[in-house]
Amino acid sequence: MPVEVPKEKWPGSVRTITLGALPSEGGTRKRVVTVGGETAMPFMHFEGEIPNPPVVAIEIKDRKPDDWSPLLLETWKDVIDDPAQWAAAAEAAGADLIVLALSLTNRNGEPTSPDEAVASVKAVLRATGLPLIVFGPGQAEADNALLVAVSEATKGERLALGICEDKNYRTIVATAMANDHLVTARTPMDVNLAKQLNILISDMGLPLDRILMDPTTGALGYGIEYGFSVMERLRLAALQGDKMTQLPMIVTPGFEAWKAKESKVGEGVPASWGDWLNRAINWETLTALTLVESGADIVVLRHPESVKRVKAAIEELMAAKSLVS
Amino acid sequence: MYIIGENIHIISEKVKEALKERNAKFFQELAVKQVEAGAKALDLNLGPRKADGEEVFPWIVETVEAVVDVPLSFDSTNVVGIEAGLKKVTKAQPIINSTSAEPERLEKVPLLAKKYNTKLIALTMGKSGIPVAADDRVNIAIEYLIPRALEVGLPIEDLIIDPLVLTVSGCQEYCPELIEAIRTLQFAWDPPPAISVGLSNVSNAVPRENRPLINRVYCAMLMGVGLKMMIADPLDQKLRETIRIIEERDESTPIGRLYLRIADKIRDMQEITPDDIDFDDPEQVAVWKTVQILLNKVIYADGYLDQ
Repeated sequence: MPVEVPKEKWPGSVRTITLGALPSEGGTRKRVVTVGGETAMPFMHFEGEIPNPPVVAIEIKDRKPDDWSPLLLETWKDVIDDPAQWAAAAEAAGADLIVLALSLTNRNGEPTSPDEAVASVKAVLRATGLPLIVFGPGQAEADNALLVAVSEATKGERLALGICEDKNYRTIVATAMANDHLVTARTPMDVNLAKQLNILISDMGLPLDRILMDPTTGALGYGIEYGFSVMERLRLAALQGDKMTQLPMIVTPGFEAWKAKESKVGEGVPASWGDWLNRAINWETLTALTLVESGADIVVLRHPESVKRVKAAIEELMAAKSLVS
Repeated sequence: MYIIGENIHIISEKVKEALKERNAKFFQELAVKQVEAGAKALDLNLGPRKADGEEVFPWIVETVEAVVDVPLSFDSTNVVGIEAGLKKVTKAQPIINSTSAEPERLEKVPLLAKKYNTKLIALTMGKSGIPVAADDRVNIAIEYLIPRALEVGLPIEDLIIDPLVLTVSGCQEYCPELIEAIRTLQFAWDPPPAISVGLSNVSNAVPRENRPLINRVYCAMLMGVGLKMMIADPLDQKLRETIRIIEERDESTPIGRLYLRIADKIRDMQEITPDDIDFDDPEQVAVWKTVQILLNKVIYADGYLDQ
């Protein structure tokens, strides 16, 4: 008996955004990455187009991080003191993009200076041909000081600069506008605030195709269902035609998953939890894949094995297209 | 429209200050001003007053009844304080605001309403909170609120169901459902209970300058499905004007015709479309955008009018 599959026809689509610039475009990247462009909910290939598969970024730091899991420190131990080598290793591990998160303090415990931040970013750009996202340390004053210097020193590279938040976005947006970069806009798991921040940023004159939105999330078991619902709602609004929500979404499941007890703690947990490393990788992988299913265009991860698994799963989800066409 | 004036509310700094000083003149002026503006009753929300309810409630009743004759609505969860206030009432039949379907409140508050022959506002809220879906809210009224009123012998005409307005800023999915809850409640019982809502809740957490627009557009929509009573700001002149236009079917102005069309289309379960709007008129464009957020078709953001 033939079964009629009900299909949703969406009037809107997600914006297409390209990160990175080739030498011919004023940058130095060997390849660029394009995200967005969806005209259907995630992987609903029978309802519309998913022209650009979700991509995986690997997060690196400008120096050995103080608060990362020993499992991650062990994994990256040969490169962890040198952001350039770390970036190259991340590219070799299969990253589509690099996220460089600047630290508040340098190796000597002094505040990271703008010159040091620029040196780290330039070293990473030399070491990899992938597009780059640069996050400030997460304190308004330091973010502004470091990101402005980085932005000016890398004019034309189409970096994505973050993190813009409702309390601190003007300086970052202004420098991104002046130097041909993109920004990431983060809001705390709230559709109304996400949309409002996009409105505020675009009111400053930054074109919408240079804004990535980060609706934030929680890890598996730590509020991921809220993150999922917020992203799903934003994506539904985008497909319905609300232009202030039609931005590709970036989320940081690596950061979230490695905060969870299940990943962080290796001792004093029930034996039934099984092998620590395997559990931690599962936690990061499942967190990331859940978010990919809710519409994430860029997931930022930390462990190379998670990257491999998430990329393989995305490939399968994209291959499902051939089953319906 | 029967407006229960909302302005004596502890959330206002002025009210808080005046209450601390037991400034009778302040409350009397605010009461008179609301009644002169058309309020048919006055809501008194002084907070829970756990410590001094038995002194404050009688004081506010005496103060306000010295200058107005309208019913007073005791908006509190403090049953002891409410009872102390009810004993002082000498004028119109008062209102208790409110009970819900939570077992403890549903047990006590209707008995108080019966004992003092008051009207009773009953919220469609149960143990597990406020349901989103219209039908679930109506079911709370049918399964808990109305049966309990009948059980304690409260006349159905003294029961007022409040299906609960929530803010478009954060609880947007509730906004269209509330419209349908009001529609359905009118068929939920014979004779149907009265229905009232707290209109201004729809714009809680919205920047002050946008609140009146959201309130009056929602009011037009709710009047479309037959709302005849609400707790609202009687001093909001544009809100009163919108109510008048719809009640008198005044088609003399373009914006008035738009509000009427909105009410009519909501009544007839028809879609409000761009054809209904003159996009050269900024006021109509603002109303259109507001309809879109209230029907949950476009995600609310504080800057929604600038989009």
